[in-house]
Amino acid sequence: MSDDPQDDDEMIAKVSDYLDGLLSGAEKDAVATKLESDPAWKQTHEDMLETRKALSGLQKARAPGHFAQDVTATIHKRSAGRFFGRRTLGDRVPLMPLVIVAVLALCAIAYVMWSSQTGSLKVHHEHEHDGSAVKLTPGL
Amino acid sequence: MSELERSLLRRLRNRDERAFRELIEAHRDRVYNICYRMLGNRHESEDVAQEVFITVFKTIDTFREEAKFSTWLYRVAVNHCKNRIKYLARRHDRDRDELDDQASGANGTPIGAPAPSAPDRALEGAQMEKLMQDAIASLEDEQRIVVVLRDVEDLSIEEICEITGLPDGTVKSRLHRARLVLRKKLARHVGDQHE
Repeated sequence: MSDDPQDDDEMIAKVSDYLDGLLSGAEKDAVATKLESDPAWKQTHEDMLETRKALSGLQKARAPGHFAQDVTATIHKRSAGRFFGRRTLGDRVPLMPLVIVAVLALCAIAYVMWSSQTGSLKVHHEHEHDGSAVKLTPGL
Repeated sequence: MSELERSLLRRLRNRDERAFRELIEAHRDRVYNICYRMLGNRHESEDVAQEVFITVFKTIDTFREEAKFSTWLYRVAVNHCKNRIKYLARRHDRDRDELDDQASGANGTPIGAPAPSAPDRALEGAQMEKLMQDAIASLEDEQRIVVVLRDVEDLSIEEICEITGLPDGTVKSRLHRARLVLRKKLARHVGDQHE
């Protein structure tokens, strides 16, 4: 380090720009020469490189897993549900699971009706042939 | 701006909740990290990051597509952080004891409270992380912003100029000074360690 703080400032600025790749050809060469020949410049360069490495190596803090839900919940709360546009029916109602459940239910009902002895889905032709189909009792 | 980003913006302007969630998922970690490095406290960072996204959604109509969306988003984040730092500093002045109690808790040291002195802190592993965070916290607000955006988040000087609204020369000089301060702090701790 020199005794003149202004020189130090200039050196720091140049080394900093050099590290950021902001110097043009001639300036870049001049700094590169300085770094080779001047121990103070070399030391500054190493220190700043080390500092930058330490900064870029800092762990990336990650938002908590519930972050998105928290934000949308806060918006809903503050706006009493009027903040977001009206959601489509598909967004509000889980249509696909409902369709699957409905199809399964219909299949189950159809099966019960088909297999039932008294169900109306079966046509009992044999009753018509043996004459024992339905006997109407007069008076009933 | 990509077509995908334009489409997302259109949906955001239509107050589409699903688009909003997509936006949060895409940017939440980076915004949170900027807030954390600026504020030094996880609880405050989460709170501010939430406010950032709420502000973005509320003011999405004011975003003119001249800049990158992420640049605009980071500008909102930086402004929120600056406001929170001021608020914490005021609160600290008003209620020093209460904040000191919080600072000694598990959440770390909020910016606005003085950094604890720990001359015998080692420079290894997690302690290096703590040392760097303390060093960042000790910077002036304006220096901290540029060093976090440049050296932690690896944004270009041009992007930082857009985010902060500062001219190129000012950003660079603040960055130089910030690096100088950090370098001195690191050197001092290395010196302490070797003594």
